[in-house]
Amino acid sequence: MTTNGSPAVVRFDGELDVSRKDELRSTLQSALQAHSVLLDLAGVTYADSTALVELLHFCTDLKESDVPVALLIETPQFARLIKYAGLDQVFAVFDNRDEALAYLAAQA
Amino acid sequence: MTKPSELRVRKKAQPRAAGLLRHALDAFLRSNGIDPDTRIDIITAVGEALANSIEHAYAPNKIGHVELRARITDVEPRISVDIIDGGRFISRLPQPHRGFGFRIIRTAARTMRIDTSAGTAIRLEFDSARA
Repeated sequence: MTTNGSPAVVRFDGELDVSRKDELRSTLQSALQAHSVLLDLAGVTYADSTALVELLHFCTDLKESDVPVALLIETPQFARLIKYAGLDQVFAVFDNRDEALAYLAAQA
Repeated sequence: MTKPSELRVRKKAQPRAAGLLRHALDAFLRSNGIDPDTRIDIITAVGEALANSIEHAYAPNKIGHVELRARITDVEPRISVDIIDGGRFISRLPQPHRGFGFRIIRTAARTMRIDTSAGTAIRLEFDSARA
């Protein structure tokens, strides 16, 4: 995690399913004090709604503190999951790292 | 019409079973030539049903089983998947945010039927073009 200008980057890889709920929750909690967060999920090959719920809680908590958060998602299953859950307008989702960073910089 | 292709896998309903059952299903779908786009929808919908079974089917001190049965035929809907556990469905409904899981299933699958006469059996059906 970095501070002073650049966003905190929280990265997850592999399959984010029910078996990783506790890990996901505790890792996200460690980023709650950041002033800006890039959730780097580019390497997530599968996610389910238990992961979505953890991400939603995290993003909601940050939003209440006016902390911008961007999700970097590059795999089709994860992008589809968010759309099917009706959350594509709730999360700031990007499929390109530069665009995600530009969004966060513009929110600062 | 050729003989239907079938898969049957049963695991203890614990968190790592979700991935094992999804991987078994994905390998089965691949070996039957199901296209990648359809596979994503199937794995997404079935993954939700599995996560629901594993999280809510049984009391914390009681480990039951979850079973996956998949069948591919030549006629639409070509693919059907059953997710079966010995738990009670009604008691799980009030869980906060479970709505996402069923919303996802309803969007990804063509049909969803729930049979709670003995445990909980969810049947999902999907269409597919051959790859």
